Amino acid sequence: MNSTWFVYLGFAAALLIVGLYALLTMKNVIKLFIGIEVIGKAVSLVLLSTGFAKNNILLAQSLVITFIVIEVSLVATALALIINITRRTKSLDVRKLTKLRG
Amino acid sequence: MTGQILLLSGLVFFSILAILAKDLIRSAVSLAVASLFLGIIFFRMSAPYAGVFEISVVAGLITVLFILTIALTKAGGDVRESKLATLIFPLVFIVFVVIDVLVMKSLLHKIPALPDTAESGSFGDVLWKQRTSDLVGQLAVILAGVFSVLALFRKRDKDE
Amino acid sequence: MIFLFIGLPLVVAALLPLIGKVSKKTAPDVLANAVFLALLVLALTSGRQMIGSGPVLLRLDWLGESVGITAAVDGFSLFMLMIVSLVTLCVGLFSINYMDHYGAKANYYALLLMMMAGMNGLLLASDLFNVYVFLEVAAIASYALVAFGLEHDELEASFKYLMLSVIASAAILISIAVIFGMTGSLSFSSVAQALRDLEAGPVVGVCAALFIMGFGLKAALVPFHAWLPDAHPSAPASISAILSGLLIKVSGVYALARIFFNVFGLTPALSQILMWLGAVSIVVAAFLALGQKDMKRMLAYSSISQVGYVVLGLGIGTPLGIAGGLFHLLNHAVGKGLLFLNSGSVQMATGTRDLEEMGGLAKRMPVTAATNLIGSLSIAGVPPLAGFWSKLLIIIGLVQARHWPLAVIAVLASVLTLWYYLLIQRKAFFGKLEARWANVKEAPFWMTVSTVILALLSIGLGLFFSTVIKTWVQPASDALAGGIKVALASWGF
Repeated sequence: MNSTWFVYLGFAAALLIVGLYALLTMKNVIKLFIGIEVIGKAVSLVLLSTGFAKNNILLAQSLVITFIVIEVSLVATALALIINITRRTKSLDVRKLTKLRG
Repeated sequence: MTGQILLLSGLVFFSILAILAKDLIRSAVSLAVASLFLGIIFFRMSAPYAGVFEISVVAGLITVLFILTIALTKAGGDVRESKLATLIFPLVFIVFVVIDVLVMKSLLHKIPALPDTAESGSFGDVLWKQRTSDLVGQLAVILAGVFSVLALFRKRDKDE
Repeated sequence: MIFLFIGLPLVVAALLPLIGKVSKKTAPDVLANAVFLALLVLALTSGRQMIGSGPVLLRLDWLGESVGITAAVDGFSLFMLMIVSLVTLCVGLFSINYMDHYGAKANYYALLLMMMAGMNGLLLASDLFNVYVFLEVAAIASYALVAFGLEHDELEASFKYLMLSVIASAAILISIAVIFGMTGSLSFSSVAQALRDLEAGPVVGVCAALFIMGFGLKAALVPFHAWLPDAHPSAPASISAILSGLLIKVSGVYALARIFFNVFGLTPALSQILMWLGAVSIVVAAFLALGQKDMKRMLAYSSISQVGYVVLGLGIGTPLGIAGGLFHLLNHAVGKGLLFLNSGSVQMATGTRDLEEMGGLAKRMPVTAATNLIGSLSIAGVPPLAGFWSKLLIIIGLVQARHWPLAVIAVLASVLTLWYYLLIQRKAFFGKLEARWANVKEAPFWMTVSTVILALLSIGLGLFFSTVIKTWVQPASDALAGGIKVALASWGF
């Protein structure tokens, strides 16, 4: 695997850590959601750059497009959940949300 | 390649901005700009279809959905993020980037791979003929999303 | 024909909202359950001749032209298809009464059908990325179904579930990308061949670890189980039954087993990891179950524990162990489905899930109490009920393979399981009838019918265990034990 792949992978890893950091530390549910989006970007970057490195860019594009469609569905569901949550708790704070113990 | 590296750095930078910004609208816009960068990166990798999709769907549609949600939940008031989290982040990030670079350098040429096989056909062929099952899956996932949103936004007849 | 498993639920689900506008309750009830019944019959009858001569890869022909949709069928996928149809049918029947007070039945059934379509699609997938796509279909449907009642607890549980699932999806996709990078293809057969040619030990190890993280989270194995104890209790009982009975097994255990056995090939290292993962889940979850007061939460922890048994059995890698694990998968799907449905009956009758508040319900709800006892004893492993035989097979498999400490753990945990199930039975059903429950009624018709069916199955599967194992479990076990050969021989084309 040539070195350009590793460059892309490196940046994708950085994106991944940004997204994971958001999921772990942020208290606003919408910020949590942005974390998910950033992780999504990281994943599509990994998929496409792998395809690029293998000279299989068309296949990789199909995969990324399918992934983006899945992401849209996920975003719609999650945002619907978030709007319902604010209706219930009157707040965007995830601390007000978590009543249940793991 | 340097162009790509600049664009990739922009991508990472705006993503960081998106999660650290205090104002939610600013976050949404940063995320959109990050998607724009990613779309351009895709274009330059000879992946125009993915690039177009990324820009129109993620930078476009999802940003609109985000801003819609932000508007609908304005009543939520402001959430005080932990100051500590925002302050530590640069440190954590830099540590991680260092580890990242070292790991990637050491992995270079260590991952075995079969030689590439040439790709045949056009994009349409690949998407519609090779990955047809994925298209069925896409249809299913869109339906699932539609039903989910319908279920979550339904009018409640009786108060439970 | 086999494509109906994906196509039929999809089409009916798409039509349901329109039909639901005309007839709010009856038409959705009838239609959805008809689909479930039809697919169950299909799974029971036509599947077996298809795979009589070994695993097959079917291609969809549309109007004479061959479309690129393939379905990979073998003993294992057929076995799972049968379980999915069976439990979904019983849950569908149960929902006829139970979902009345939630409203929006057409929408509910549409989501249920989509979840089924997603699960079936996963079971029939022949390439890695397709597995992921259908996994997400089922997952997105499940997020909405968990939050269906729109109460605080349900929303919180669904949101937490969603967050963790996203991490799982990312892990799975990154692993798929790396495998693609190494092998240049995505289908099971090509990847299996390529990995054998490449001999890329450490990298495959990393991919395997990522898959364990991703699918392990979907299967709620310890330490990836955090979402389940919140999601299962808060969701409507019918959804808890489907989540515990089917979804964690299809998107977690099946996917993991398929990839580890037929694509990677089960190495001794992988076998050890699976066995210890299973064992940890069994023990940790069993202890956590003991301290619960909420009936459904206890059942949720028990699910984690029992899935641990399944993974332990599969991890042994010997035909006996795999057969035991798979049979336990079937028994647990039936039994846990039964128990969660019963918890729904109890919750509907008494309005509470707190075991401390219940008592003596058996006098007013005899059928529910009886079926609950049968389900509990089956999962706990009391002869001659089904669970006993599956656990016995797993333990014998462990002994045969000389894993003494794990065998002891399996036996002891079984005793623990029996203990906490009897606790539920005693606190909720036996004992003195609390005054405020003096007027509760037995559960409505369809709810009792579905639980009785599942209870009879638990008994039947136990009494006829050898026939069941021979006709259903054995082909599935062979498909897995065959390892890479299965993927290469019959699915490569």
